[in-house]
Amino acid sequence: MKKIIAIIRNEKVEETKYALKNLGVSGLTFLHVTGRGSSKSSFLRDKKNPYTIKGILQRQNPDTLLTEKEQELGFLPKRMLIIVANDNDVIPIIDTLITTNQTGHHGDGKIFVCPMISAIRVRNGEQGDRALI
Amino acid sequence: MKMIWAIIRPEYSQKVIDALEKIGISAMTRLHVTGHGAEIGITANYSEIPKEMLMLVLPDIDVARAVKIISTVAKTWQKENPRHGAVGDGKIFVTYVDDAYTIRTADVRKTDSGLPAKTGTAL
Repeated sequence: MKKIIAIIRNEKVEETKYALKNLGVSGLTFLHVTGRGSSKSSFLRDKKNPYTIKGILQRQNPDTLLTEKEQELGFLPKRMLIIVANDNDVIPIIDTLITTNQTGHHGDGKIFVCPMISAIRVRNGEQGDRALI
Repeated sequence: MKMIWAIIRPEYSQKVIDALEKIGISAMTRLHVTGHGAEIGITANYSEIPKEMLMLVLPDIDVARAVKIISTVAKTWQKENPRHGAVGDGKIFVTYVDDAYTIRTADVRKTDSGLPAKTGTAL
């Protein structure tokens, strides 16, 4: 069992949900986060980049408005997606995430795959792989 | 490659970010969370204390340095007990990461393969 943590653009959330639904992934968790990569969002100064800071800030969720200090530091609103999946399903999920979210510009995000020991369904106490179905 | 989840006081998050940046760790994700550990409020029993969570994924070499920076900078300074902080300063959790992918280039940084994870584009 693996936990997939993906950090993606806010604009790509609906597309990603649809693609994962078609793949048969049932359980998803989305979080509103702010973050930056090692380049500290300096790519936004590149005029060829279609993702401008103004556009990103216009589309952001009003619940997670950035302070001026955060904007200075390059922290941009992103969405974190958490999926717990069987070992066999990890590669197709990652392929789907990459194909739907790849624009070729900086800020597309990262995917991390972490080991997970067990999962328990709260409703009836089922454990392990059965809890994921 | 390791993943660090650090729960710290919101008023210390800026200092922690600046301190990590000084040693060259600038890639991180911030989450606003609420919760409690041993600290359940000062004046009333309150179980949803706002905290800030930082998520960092680092190569194994940098983990010890980052943990040390976070644990020293996020600690509350107390006059009567200068070596220890206060209840509610937070926790740091470190977990394993198998793979890390950059979506833009579909690069993979693997640690399962035995290759050292480089501080390249993926991190």
